[in-house]
Amino acid sequence: MKKGKSEEVVIKVSDVSKNFNVYYDKANTLKERVIFFHRNKMEVRKVLKHINLEIKKGETVALIGVNGSGKSTLLKLLTKIIYPNGGNIEINGKLTSLLELGAGFHPDFSGRENIYFNASIFGLNKAEIDRRIDDIIAFSELGEYIDNPIRTYSSGMYMRLAFAVAINVDADILLIDEVLAVGDQHFQEKCLNKMKELKSEGKTMVFVSHSMDAVKFLCDRAIWLYQGEIRKDGKTEKVIEEYLEECA
Amino acid sequence: MKLLHELYVYREFLKTSIRKEFRGKYKKSFLGVLWSFINPLLQLLVYALVFPFIMRVQVENYTMFLVVALIPWNFFNATVCQSTSTIIASSGIIKKVYFPRAILPISNVTSNFLNFLISCIIIVVALFVSGIGIGPSIIYLPLIMLLQYVFSLAISFILSSITVYIRDLEYFVSVLMMLWFYLTPVLYEINMIPPKFQALFNLNPMVHIITAYRQILYYQQAPNLLYILGILIACFVLLIVGNFIFHRCEKKFAEEL
Repeated sequence: MKKGKSEEVVIKVSDVSKNFNVYYDKANTLKERVIFFHRNKMEVRKVLKHINLEIKKGETVALIGVNGSGKSTLLKLLTKIIYPNGGNIEINGKLTSLLELGAGFHPDFSGRENIYFNASIFGLNKAEIDRRIDDIIAFSELGEYIDNPIRTYSSGMYMRLAFAVAINVDADILLIDEVLAVGDQHFQEKCLNKMKELKSEGKTMVFVSHSMDAVKFLCDRAIWLYQGEIRKDGKTEKVIEEYLEECA
Repeated sequence: MKLLHELYVYREFLKTSIRKEFRGKYKKSFLGVLWSFINPLLQLLVYALVFPFIMRVQVENYTMFLVVALIPWNFFNATVCQSTSTIIASSGIIKKVYFPRAILPISNVTSNFLNFLISCIIIVVALFVSGIGIGPSIIYLPLIMLLQYVFSLAISFILSSITVYIRDLEYFVSVLMMLWFYLTPVLYEINMIPPKFQALFNLNPMVHIITAYRQILYYQQAPNLLYILGILIACFVLLIVGNFIFHRCEKKFAEEL
């Protein structure tokens, strides 16, 4: 595996804008549309404004900024859950996102079965999952509970299982949104170490977090989003320093 | 083409998704998959009693005449009725992860198709019990099934995506399907349609599909292949149009749900 950075651009965001239509009182049915046509008043909220961004292979980039600055929206755009109103996004490589953990988990099925279901949503086939299942179970530290239905799990166990699947998908690009907040100290550290390990394997990561310690630990580049625009982009320490000054 | 490649990459998800829908259907009931038999049988019983005895339909062996058309129709009906809710019911995962959204309507149609194949056992048993048996014309059956699959998928693409924007469709479709049922020769013979409306009826693909099933299984005749091929092409065109509409709509699914 290639170590460190290369010059290959894996994420290229050119002039991307995203608006959300915020309806005051949304007319969902045809009747409401016809009768209360004035009800469909809406406000166009510009969440991202002309973002330009290039991320190279092997980079670990943190997105920081106050709530509502567009960090999660940017991640959602990168994973193609939503699409931009303008501009263009190019992705080279297999991309996995940990926006919300446990997508497609079914409470009545066992942890093991849910690993298959969850991993298949990430685009893995059965043989690939078979090969990883032991790693996933080991990482989740669920032990014998793995064969219990996940409705019996605590939220921490649920999180651990979901994170274990996502981190073992073997993607080239990993998008991680504020998901570490759940687990206990031990597991948080384990996740951070695992991410550091992936980083040393040359994976590209985009990481949203409010924990500046985690950002400093993991990322060598930080991007500060402010009201839908890039306020600052550069070395982690410098960006964080300015960001904290502004917040204070 | 890109879609086909993506479907290949996500084939495991497609499989689990079909399995989940197929099994999930009768999950909480005692009789489980047996309902795939009981339901059409009971329905058949109703029609087979009402039409020959009360409405006095003069068709020889009416029960058989009915069974070969009603079971394929049920497949179509179930697919279309469920198609309106396929996207909305999966809003959870649509908002969380990316995957080819087309998997959802495809697994709706496919799981219903599997159900239909199970119900086909009723047709086979009935054909033997009634003494009609199975003739060489049965080799055309897979072609007609393919035709129906393609047509159902096209409709499913269109309805599942548009319903996200216009939720009323869900309620409208169930009434529409009742009308569609009576406009399709399931309960009656195609030549009972007044000649002046014949051209109009010909626009309905289900007329041709149901008639072909009956021709193959009940009359044991070979269908007009050229004719069937023409409809198959038309249905493939509709499928491409359906996929195009779906593709246009899918980009905003996560925001609209």
